[in-house]
Amino acid sequence: MSSSFATPSHLLPLTSSRRRSNSSSTTIFCLPSPTSINNQSSLASSQNLKPSKSRPILLTSLLSPKSLALSAASGILFHLSIPLFNSGGGGRGDGGGGGRGGGGEGGDFWTRIFSPIAVATDDDPQKEWDSHGLPANIVVQLNKLSGFKKYKVSEIVFFDRRRGSTIGTDDSFFEMVSLRPGGVYTKAQLQKELETLATCGMFEKVDLETKTNPDGTINITIPFLESTWQSADRFRCINVGLMPQSKPIEMDADMTEKEKIDYYRSQEKDYRRRIERARPCLLPPPVQREIMQMLREQGKVSARLLQRIRDRVQQWYHENGYACAQVVNFGNLNTKEVVCEVVEGDITQLVIQFQDKLGNVCEGNTQFPVIKRELPNQLRQGQVFNIEAGKQALRNINSLALFSNIEVNPRPDEKNEGGIVVEVKLKELEQKSAEVSTEWSIVPGRGGRPTLASIQPGGTVSFEHRNIKGLNRSLLGSVTTSNFLNPQDDLAFKLEYVHPYLDGVYNPRNRTFRTSCFNSRKLSPVFTGGPGIEEVPPIWVDRTGIKANITENFTRQSKFTYGLVMEEITTRDESNNISANGQRVLPSGGVSADGPPTTLSGTGVDLMAFLQANITRDNTKFLNGAIVGERNVFQLDQGLGIGSKFPFFNRHQLTVTRFLQLKQVEEGAGKAPPPVLVLHGHYGGCVGDLPSYDAFTLGGPYSVRGYNMGELGAARNILELAAELRIPVRITHAYVFAEHGNDLGSSKDVKGNPTEVYRRMGQGSSYGIGMKLGLVRAEYAVDHNTGTGAIFFRFGERF
Amino acid sequence: MSAQLIKEWTAIHQFPAATQEKLVDLLGKLKNQDVNTLTILVMGKCGVGKSSTVNSIIGERVVTVSAFQSETPRPVMVSRSRSGFTLNIIDTPGLVEGGYISDQVLETIKRFLMNKTIDVLLYVDRLDSYRVDNLDKQIVKAITDSFGKEIWHKAMVVLTHAQLSPPDALSYEEFFSKRSESLLKCLRQGARISKNDVKNFAIPVALVENSGRCNKNEFDEKILPMGTPWIPNLVHVITDVALNGKGGILVDKKLIEGPNANDRGKIFIPLILAFQYFFVIKPIQKWIKMDAATEDKPSWA
Repeated sequence: MSSSFATPSHLLPLTSSRRRSNSSSTTIFCLPSPTSINNQSSLASSQNLKPSKSRPILLTSLLSPKSLALSAASGILFHLSIPLFNSGGGGRGDGGGGGRGGGGEGGDFWTRIFSPIAVATDDDPQKEWDSHGLPANIVVQLNKLSGFKKYKVSEIVFFDRRRGSTIGTDDSFFEMVSLRPGGVYTKAQLQKELETLATCGMFEKVDLETKTNPDGTINITIPFLESTWQSADRFRCINVGLMPQSKPIEMDADMTEKEKIDYYRSQEKDYRRRIERARPCLLPPPVQREIMQMLREQGKVSARLLQRIRDRVQQWYHENGYACAQVVNFGNLNTKEVVCEVVEGDITQLVIQFQDKLGNVCEGNTQFPVIKRELPNQLRQGQVFNIEAGKQALRNINSLALFSNIEVNPRPDEKNEGGIVVEVKLKELEQKSAEVSTEWSIVPGRGGRPTLASIQPGGTVSFEHRNIKGLNRSLLGSVTTSNFLNPQDDLAFKLEYVHPYLDGVYNPRNRTFRTSCFNSRKLSPVFTGGPGIEEVPPIWVDRTGIKANITENFTRQSKFTYGLVMEEITTRDESNNISANGQRVLPSGGVSADGPPTTLSGTGVDLMAFLQANITRDNTKFLNGAIVGERNVFQLDQGLGIGSKFPFFNRHQLTVTRFLQLKQVEEGAGKAPPPVLVLHGHYGGCVGDLPSYDAFTLGGPYSVRGYNMGELGAARNILELAAELRIPVRITHAYVFAEHGNDLGSSKDVKGNPTEVYRRMGQGSSYGIGMKLGLVRAEYAVDHNTGTGAIFFRFGERF
Repeated sequence: MSAQLIKEWTAIHQFPAATQEKLVDLLGKLKNQDVNTLTILVMGKCGVGKSSTVNSIIGERVVTVSAFQSETPRPVMVSRSRSGFTLNIIDTPGLVEGGYISDQVLETIKRFLMNKTIDVLLYVDRLDSYRVDNLDKQIVKAITDSFGKEIWHKAMVVLTHAQLSPPDALSYEEFFSKRSESLLKCLRQGARISKNDVKNFAIPVALVENSGRCNKNEFDEKILPMGTPWIPNLVHVITDVALNGKGGILVDKKLIEGPNANDRGKIFIPLILAFQYFFVIKPIQKWIKMDAATEDKPSWA
């Protein structure tokens, strides 16, 4: 004899008839869990799962491009807001037919009782309540109460008839009633409450008694008999999402005993078939074993045990990101096996929507495949919705930098019971934008008063054309000068075209083509004095050219870039004149302009074309805030023999960095990061023509700390070795380091030997200690060549 | 300066007859060996008497000298010809300026010597300095770095102010040998001539006394305290060095700038590139694939 009355098809009244059944099932309706679930849906349906009215999870990213840049810099990638997760009556099963009766007004009722605040706004319960108007300390039947009065409840007690005692307020039963001491309720509300308790399947018998208090308030006692079933020792969890709901067959009250037995048999058969058809669930064996242990320890299966099991199962799902998972039913009760029916939240559809500024759905410019390729597979149709996958999707889409607002919402599928529709709502950024910013320079003038440096305005003009053809291609340009009236002096410009999805937007290969015109101006560290020489006249290296390359992303951090660079290099002195040779200060104090040549051509202007390749392998990751892993970078510039003096060269650099974790630590938020040993090696070398601006320099915050940029020398081949030990200190870390840089005797192989001309050592070591303070590194480094130390503040990471 | 008209070596007649005779003899010897030009480079510290020595060899005051200051701001080449034989003597400014080797001076000398062949290098120092110091070594080193080690095959040391009374308890010969030995030792160190190589680099030493109060012998020849007339002796040593079988040093761009590092290994670049592609880029790509395969997946993935 079986009966599973949880699903509408197996409804059984909570009457003695169930007592005769060998197996039965009950439904524990899912109560709002304090954090994410808020019940707002109507009770109208008699179906188990009614998620249709629930409000979805919102993953919202509200970012203006500017704030994105800012937050990216500070390491915060996106803002994620999950305002609500409303699982409506999701997983509520009505134990008996009674549930149907109260359907109509039920919605209102549930709204009230599940959101006390709403009640509070309806009618202020603190003041407006009516005295019961009866003698004190008498027990009044619920139906004897006046239907017009608002009763204030001062105490609620559950009384276990089987044990003959009241239960503590921490018991899970208290979660089942929405009544709270101090609340004000009408008779209808109390009746509804009782109905709910009676139909929830947890009780064999439940009643509600009121007792009058002298102060006009009432005490409520709920005497109950808890439902229990045969003890079970097996546990099974099945995914019943998307399974067709079988139509409830009305049980005729006039059925004969035989008909009833037949009916139960067919119910049982149906249920077995249902179990067989159900898909296995994600619940891992350890958790299943844990629950089995719970069942064995308990002996008899009680309603409260089922509630605990439900909580444990749902806890696992929610902890692992399956935010839409719900335990909807327990079946097969009164057998050896308890069957837990879960709706995991299978994705039935993925919808991408564009919204205009007002939030109306509109036609988007971006092509769907561009967005689809950013979505993790776990968000595709047929997968179980996971909030982490949603967050990943949000991050990925955000990294496209095409949208001002991104929402990833799971929404219950109306057409498909138990299914989830994932909605991706996007607000596109303006495709074209232009910006002009101007500035006037103010310098100290005569008498120290601030004066306008010149009446000429300087500033930046930039424009951007994003998302061309909806394929995320973009064209951007900017021009910066300090003098718009005479821009040839210091015009800095950039024009770049980016063409992603070179192999087609459907191809998983992720190659991006980039081409740009650029110019840049840098102070050459080659023409820097050693420790003895203070003032070496600086040489500026101006580069102007065009570049075209293809970047292939293998993983998030590993990539391979290859392309062609054609550039003109001009070397200038302080007064902006082209200089073919570095200057040097003579012992007499004079300056002579016969230092090392600055260019290959010897004229101060070089033209060259070369191939450039860079392969980065980076598998570093953050472990509680500390970087661990390894990074290898190989960079190659291959001259083609095209340009001034037909430069033919092979300039290569290999960087190897290891972040070794010295202690195993537990991963998790707030856990301490491990101490890390960083080992770093950098080799740079060049065969063939090497103009001085391409020579490798030693010294500086990213080479050998404790020295100035280029203070150790400029060479054809260099080797840098560094070790750093990072010890976590509270939220940051302190470190000790030792570094060495060596020119391998190749300084003389740079034309004019700038290392020797500017009296540099060609090698040097340093050691020191430091502390990471936010983005700034504060360190004390001792320069081993002179043995003196100094404190440095640097931005960013050394490695 | 090379375009300068080469004057006839008339001043040779001013030498005493005995000296003249010996000089003509030596020149004839050179001519016999088909040596028609002889270029002599004179180098040394400031104020050791380089210019005076040049004047003494030529026999006339071709380079201005003064007692208290350096008068040679840049290299000067004096050329004299006699019966088809040309003698070029290049006088250079002192290499030391303010206690340091002057790179600038060295640079101008190099530039002056461009495309000339040096047959003999006269490294000039004073006999009456008692010790050698680091600066001497640096000068030698600078010369070696500029013209290569080979120049010492064609070099001789000239010690000026030869007419001196040696310090107590030392005979002139003893003093001379000690002084020349210590100078040569320093020279070998500066030029990085190893001990095994010493035989190959036999650097002769000659004495010079440019002073007008120099003692003279019965033939009116200026003589050294030992009694040898020094001009014929010097020219004799020069001739020996010139004819010692080693080729002269042609000063060209390559010599001055050293081997061009930019050209070294250039032909191997295609090989290097292939190596880099197959043994650096490819393995890194393989590693990346491995990384992608072993990457920690989040629990939901």
